[in-house]
Amino acid sequence: MKISHSWLQKYVDFKFQPHEMVEGLTMLGLEVESFEDLAKKYDRFVVGEVIERAKHPNADRLTLCKVNSGKEVQEIVCGAPNVAAGQKVAVALVGATIPHNQHDPDGNPFVLERAKIRGVESNGMICSAFELGLGEDSSGIIVLDSGAMAGTPLAKYLGQTDVIYEIGITPNRADCLSHIGIAREVGLLSEKKVRIPRVRLKESTTPSARQAKIMIEDKDGCPRYSARVLRNVKIEPSPKWLQDLLTSVGIRPINNVVDVTNYVLMETGQPLHAFDYDKLADHTIVVKRAKSGEKFTTLDGKERTLNAETLMICDAQRPVAIAGVMGGGNSEITNGTTNILIESAFFDPSSIRKTSKYLGLSTEASYRFERGTDIGITTYAADRAAQMIQELTGAEVLKGALDARGRKQKELKIKLRVSRTNRVLGTGLTKIQIKDFLSKVGIISKSLAKDVLETLVPTYRIDVGQEIDLIEEVARVYGYNNIETKTISSIDFSNSVFADRVETDVRNYFSNAGFNEMVANSLQDAATAALPGLPTVKMLNPVSVEMSTMRTSLVPGALQIVRHNRNHGNKYLRLFELGKVYSVGKSTSAESLEGFREEDRLLILMSGKPVTAGTGIQPHETDILDLKGEVEAFLAKVCLDKYRFISYDTRSALTDSTISIEINGLGAGVLGRVKGELTTKFDIDDPVFVCELALEILSKGMQSARRYVPLPKFPSVTRDLAFVVDGSVTQQSLEQTIRESGKPLLASVVLFDEYRDDRIGAGKKSLAYALEFQSQDHTLTDRESDQLITRIVDAARNECGAVLRS
Amino acid sequence: MLETIEQTKQQFLLDLSQSDTLDKLEQLRIAYLARSGRIAALFEGLKSASVADKPVLGKSLNELRSFAQSQFEARKSELDGASKPKETSIDLTLPGRPRPIGTKHPVMQSMEEMKRIFVSMGFSIASGPEIESDYYNFGALNFPPDHPARDMQDTFFISKDVLLRTHTSPVQIRVMEKQKPPVRVIMPGRVYRNEAISARSLVMFYQIEGLYVDKGVTFSELKGTLVSFAKQFYGSNSKYRFRPSFFPFTEPSAEMDITCYICSGKGCRVCKYSGWLEIVGSGMVHPNVLKNVGYDPELYTGFAFGFGVERPTILRHGIDDIRLLYENDVRFLRQF
Ligand SMILES: [Zn+2]
Repeated sequence: MKISHSWLQKYVDFKFQPHEMVEGLTMLGLEVESFEDLAKKYDRFVVGEVIERAKHPNADRLTLCKVNSGKEVQEIVCGAPNVAAGQKVAVALVGATIPHNQHDPDGNPFVLERAKIRGVESNGMICSAFELGLGEDSSGIIVLDSGAMAGTPLAKYLGQTDVIYEIGITPNRADCLSHIGIAREVGLLSEKKVRIPRVRLKESTTPSARQAKIMIEDKDGCPRYSARVLRNVKIEPSPKWLQDLLTSVGIRPINNVVDVTNYVLMETGQPLHAFDYDKLADHTIVVKRAKSGEKFTTLDGKERTLNAETLMICDAQRPVAIAGVMGGGNSEITNGTTNILIESAFFDPSSIRKTSKYLGLSTEASYRFERGTDIGITTYAADRAAQMIQELTGAEVLKGALDARGRKQKELKIKLRVSRTNRVLGTGLTKIQIKDFLSKVGIISKSLAKDVLETLVPTYRIDVGQEIDLIEEVARVYGYNNIETKTISSIDFSNSVFADRVETDVRNYFSNAGFNEMVANSLQDAATAALPGLPTVKMLNPVSVEMSTMRTSLVPGALQIVRHNRNHGNKYLRLFELGKVYSVGKSTSAESLEGFREEDRLLILMSGKPVTAGTGIQPHETDILDLKGEVEAFLAKVCLDKYRFISYDTRSALTDSTISIEINGLGAGVLGRVKGELTTKFDIDDPVFVCELALEILSKGMQSARRYVPLPKFPSVTRDLAFVVDGSVTQQSLEQTIRESGKPLLASVVLFDEYRDDRIGAGKKSLAYALEFQSQDHTLTDRESDQLITRIVDAARNECGAVLRS
Repeated sequence: MLETIEQTKQQFLLDLSQSDTLDKLEQLRIAYLARSGRIAALFEGLKSASVADKPVLGKSLNELRSFAQSQFEARKSELDGASKPKETSIDLTLPGRPRPIGTKHPVMQSMEEMKRIFVSMGFSIASGPEIESDYYNFGALNFPPDHPARDMQDTFFISKDVLLRTHTSPVQIRVMEKQKPPVRVIMPGRVYRNEAISARSLVMFYQIEGLYVDKGVTFSELKGTLVSFAKQFYGSNSKYRFRPSFFPFTEPSAEMDITCYICSGKGCRVCKYSGWLEIVGSGMVHPNVLKNVGYDPELYTGFAFGFGVERPTILRHGIDDIRLLYENDVRFLRQF
């Protein structure tokens, strides 16, 4: 919200510089987001007098003006058609920042430099209203009052000496959505009393109660409705000072009556609405709910469909305004209006918010009503507006304010315990200190008992409703930075569990194994999210179609990342991600909401060929065995031998050549090559290999306290065996046969070669193994190992049709 | 005689330095160390020394002899090596065989560091669902229905009552519902805001939430905890300040700022020329929240805090565009 420095000075005395205001208000919880020092904006701009206007020697459309800028007479090149000798003009001197560049499509500011224009030096610039940010007119220069003195700073001439603050008001501080509200806080800073303008009305003898009637049918929606009736109002533009003041805080001037209601809004925070009195049937106001489906045209010309919850202001026959949100076109002030009724009401905040949300319509009025206005000032604000309109137009103010009450409102008294205050804050404040702090924010208190104060909360502090709110006020006035900074006294580690050790371990492993961690968006387009074939979770209000649905696998998001990197020349990729996937279904863990599944996953991805670097290395295109090796190493490290690859005929929606992975007998995920049609879809023309694992199953298989295996006491014997088998025999089945037949002395079996060659027979392949035999109780003899080899070779032949190669 | 010994040593070193071939070195050996060499001659002279001087002189002579012998041998092996052809001629300026270097995502590195600090202060770690109910995300946290406070967080809805959590605060409620005080946890995780994508905002980001509820927990300790964290994470030289703010689930509520470490508080684009950076939102747990989980607010007090992880991360590494974080360009990822 925009707050004017000079406007604040009407209500409270203070001598703060802008940066002191920023600091002070921010430390009270009113964050000043920025401020604009208008005088600084027109630094190096002065009033100038055109002494002489001559043709530019080299350009028909330009003129060469001699301009008196106070201290000296300078030559300025000007392109405006309306420049003439004798005019008072706005001159930007060299070094000035021109707020809007007329020749820039976005109107960005620029710094004026001394420059030659078509061969003639120009020592400044005569500005248009647009260039100065004073209006839209860019057709010619702005001509100032003839009485202006050459050399006067332009800011002073324009009366632009104010400082405008942009303050971010948190939803609880509705009382600060006005200049008087901010003035109260400034008063707290400057320790000065706030002056609320006194209203003295010259009322006529005609009682307003005879001329208008207010009936509140919905007492919950409208606890108070006050009004003033004025006659013989002349609708015209407001005086310049009022227009300037409203403009400075971002409100567009309309006419004197509307401007006054806006002035009072910005002054007191009370939204007002002026009706054309003569357009109100029977001069009656009725506050009630709309009928569902009812149509109503607001004064912005839009027809709106109401629901049964919409609170309406009606006359005797029809609705005339949406309460607290916007008036209707049927009763608005026009140039022909002579009599008016000024509404000043208090509406139930949540009712106004519902309506504003339902209609998608937020106004200065609804913004304040939904945060809560001051029920205590409705008549004051109406009177204040009546007084100003009377002063501006000489209107007749009828006798007495109309003031209807929906429900009686009680004074709010809250008890505050000194001990509780100190127990929450960690302070040692006394009752006298607390009483004093509260009085500084207008909360009057008296002592009820040794430890207890009874406070009376002013009606504008709608955020203060219970003891803890008072404690916050005490802390705010005392100053957060005056509260001692203590560290936690007693540390209890009994329930300290480092719950996400699994993720940390996995992250450490893969970053050390040469993989880059990625973090992908969990929101995707619906088609991508649907690829794995699970029921998806969709947003009702997506920010875009690209982010409308939650991912059901980490793979598609990773493919987008692969594409991005390939487009930037990086094709060799080793990536991993730890993240959740989401789907609709029976929730499987305590960490999912009923009806939804959230599952932690690990994705490992490899693709491309390493860049050739170093010597003695022959890089090859990444294939599935590269990824399988990485995954094996990882599983061997974290899960020992409790995992198993199942490599036959596994179906997967996203991959071909898929291997299932079991950990402790539970399906933990798959490893495979991403389907060609998918990589093509993502414009990737190299194969991409992925392994996606369920973290929960992985973590259950993780071995922390490992069991020791005694070291061998006797030397081992190693033998290499190469077999020729049919191409359809898997390595795994042959290896299994060797292991079984070699028991118990066969300590390890390692495949070290596989190849296919016509010389060994069509459709055949060769598999070579290194075998190691070992006994726990003696050194093996040659005879023993020969017998073992024979047993193994026989078994291989009988079970796998394997022939030993000589 | 001691002088002569010293002179012989100096002369030996000089001659040694000039013996740059094996031949010259052999001549040196003959001149000094051979049976008829200069050192032997000195031993000869020892015989005529007085009985009183003999032990000292003898010791010096022995030292000279072993010194000369070892210097000679060292030099000899040096010259030997140089004269023989090298067995392998590896160019040692060749690069080592490269291994792929992996990295943790910078946001995860920050998270790990932050978690480490809080765990060292006795906080345990909890987590909760990202698809949340309206009750946990708002209602239980003292956001009244139809209250403007809800506008502070633009929400993705999945249905009328189900949404993507806008903050990690719902985990506070879940933890307190399950556990009796004392509770001291941090709750890291992914959260979502339905905001337009710009250089400054993301749809998805990470937060770390903290909660401590027990008898006698004070605002004073909230300050102490956050200052201690900030000093460990941002460095002990940073200054900090606390100022009032508003969150429906805490009262009093506070924002903690630290001096902008880009400009050291002088004011720059990053700190919007204020000299301060907002780093943590915090406050004393609102009594209504404690009541919602069945804690007695008269018996227990607590504090809560929460902060985003992305901003500290980009500030820490000087990253100028927050969107780079989740583009996952390996040219970016490999830098961390
Ligand atoms: Zn800065």
